[in-house]
Amino acid sequence: MAELTKEQTGKGLQVFENLKDSKLLTHLNSCVHCGLCAESCIYYLASKDDRLTPARKVDIVSSVYRRYFTVAGQIFPSLVNARNLDETTANEMVDLLFGACTMCGRCTMHCSVGVDIGYIVRTGRAMLSNMGMVPATLQSTVIAAVETGNNMGIPTEEFVATIEWMEEELIDEVQNPEAKIPLDQRGKNVLYTLNPREPKFFPLSISAMAKIFFAAGESWTLSSRMYDITNYAFFSGNKNESLLIAKRLFEETEALQAKTVVLAECGHGSRAFRWEAPNYLDRKMPFEIKTSVEVIAGYIREGKIKLDPEKIKQSVTLHDPCNLVRHGGIIQEQRYILKNFIRNFIEMNPCGTDNYCCGGGGGQLAMSEYNDRRMKIAAIKADQIKATGAKIVVTPCHNCVDQLTQISQSFKLGLQIKTLAEIVAEALIID
Amino acid sequence: MTYYQWFSILALGVCVISAAWHFIRLVRLGKPEDFSLASGKEIPAIVYSFTGAMSPAKKESAFLHLPTYSAGMIYHLGTFAAIAIFFLELAGLISQTGIFYAGAFMLLLSFGCGVGIFIKRLVKPGLRKLSSPDDYISNILVTLFQLSAAIVIMIPSTAPVYYLLAGLLALYFPLGKLKHAVYFFAARYHLGIFYGHRNVWPPKPL
Repeated sequence: MAELTKEQTGKGLQVFENLKDSKLLTHLNSCVHCGLCAESCIYYLASKDDRLTPARKVDIVSSVYRRYFTVAGQIFPSLVNARNLDETTANEMVDLLFGACTMCGRCTMHCSVGVDIGYIVRTGRAMLSNMGMVPATLQSTVIAAVETGNNMGIPTEEFVATIEWMEEELIDEVQNPEAKIPLDQRGKNVLYTLNPREPKFFPLSISAMAKIFFAAGESWTLSSRMYDITNYAFFSGNKNESLLIAKRLFEETEALQAKTVVLAECGHGSRAFRWEAPNYLDRKMPFEIKTSVEVIAGYIREGKIKLDPEKIKQSVTLHDPCNLVRHGGIIQEQRYILKNFIRNFIEMNPCGTDNYCCGGGGGQLAMSEYNDRRMKIAAIKADQIKATGAKIVVTPCHNCVDQLTQISQSFKLGLQIKTLAEIVAEALIID
Repeated sequence: MTYYQWFSILALGVCVISAAWHFIRLVRLGKPEDFSLASGKEIPAIVYSFTGAMSPAKKESAFLHLPTYSAGMIYHLGTFAAIAIFFLELAGLISQTGIFYAGAFMLLLSFGCGVGIFIKRLVKPGLRKLSSPDDYISNILVTLFQLSAAIVIMIPSTAPVYYLLAGLLALYFPLGKLKHAVYFFAARYHLGIFYGHRNVWPPKPL
């Protein structure tokens, strides 16, 4: 690649300037290079490549910080391994931070010091984003969302037609003309969001959730203008684009006067809107935000829906999406739901906050240039699933569904991969 | 007071000022303002961050590397003990008695751990590639400081060397990774806030 311009370097370094709080400063200065984080990372476990350890990812970002913002780094750069932000460093950053990290956060939980490694990786991605060095494949996903309102660029007419088709399917299935999929209705209790993969490739997951809402007697609506829960700018590290995408959903919720936004099964989307969006917008949200996992668990607890324990005969395991579990605290609800009606439920080992990433997070599924590496690290998850002997893998995340489907094919596991809503809808007892 | 004692005290002053500067900067910057609605509690999570989350039962980096983890724990305890010896020596309170000999033994053990950690860094290719000269220098200074603290207990005439090493260690503190003495606490605090706010920590049964 061409040499970096002074302007690019300056923009990259901006992330270290005008610090708003002590978090970044803390984590940039905390790593002691013990290297004990290596075994917590699926990239290292699958490849045994020392270059891919979490510590190396932290170090490349903090080495640039040290070079420009510490006395030792400015005077004795070799002493503290302080690196210039040049094209060699920047290219290495792209490969390590975009191409070799799903930002799953597993290493953070197990770091001997407590460095928030995922946060440092995201900071490095923000530097690269400022410098215009986000991988083109990931950036094109962001651009699609910014320009069309959804990351798949689905035209509104196509979306509306899909919803109408799913509504007909739902009415047929439950044999009740009241089983609607409402669009753009004001004043409803729930505004439900979608991952655009649903209308594009997996429309039955929309009708699955619609069936659950119908069974629970929920007052809900979808929006045809803004339904996309994903926010790939969160992965690219571009705060302005993250804000723009989050703001659209915020404004649509306000416009439709919904009391609660229910986030579809999308790990990063849930994280981006539930936890990050209020900070992009610099305000508390005037409405409630819940994941569909919490909502379904709530329906079961309140007796609003009933599930048939005889329906699913095969053994089932659960894949915990990193963003929902480690970064969102949704750990028990999915288990509560599954244990309610699955007779043969088997946990993976490890699971919960220690679960291994499927390998599709952090924007990896969007970055085709790293496909080979992505499928290599998937061996960890394939082994984990195989060890359970389960025939069905449930995961409340469409990104994970895609990666797990590819894992099942590549490693010839013969699995069924389902979202939580899909398996719940299958076992729903409709009176 | 001797010139080497003055040297070590002045060096310690530099070290303390540097540590205070880093600490005050962190305090002034404060914790991140989070507009998202908390689903958990921060205080119990901060407590857990400094306690349960550090235990080998929970931390993979500890239970997969128990010898290194144990060596690290002993090494850090040894560092604190050597610092305590510094003030006791300065006050003329060191004596050749059982309790100090026990301390010296503990410091020798900790010195051994430091040497072990140094050798591991030198020998393991992955760790070597990750390391900068600062990693080696920091280890050497701290490890020698512990050794000299053990020796000064047993052989008081070695005090000049001990004070010299203590001074060098203190002067080096602002330059490299020894600063983690301040940032470690901040990192655990931030993790506690983050995971507590989102109800991830303290962990609940599945």
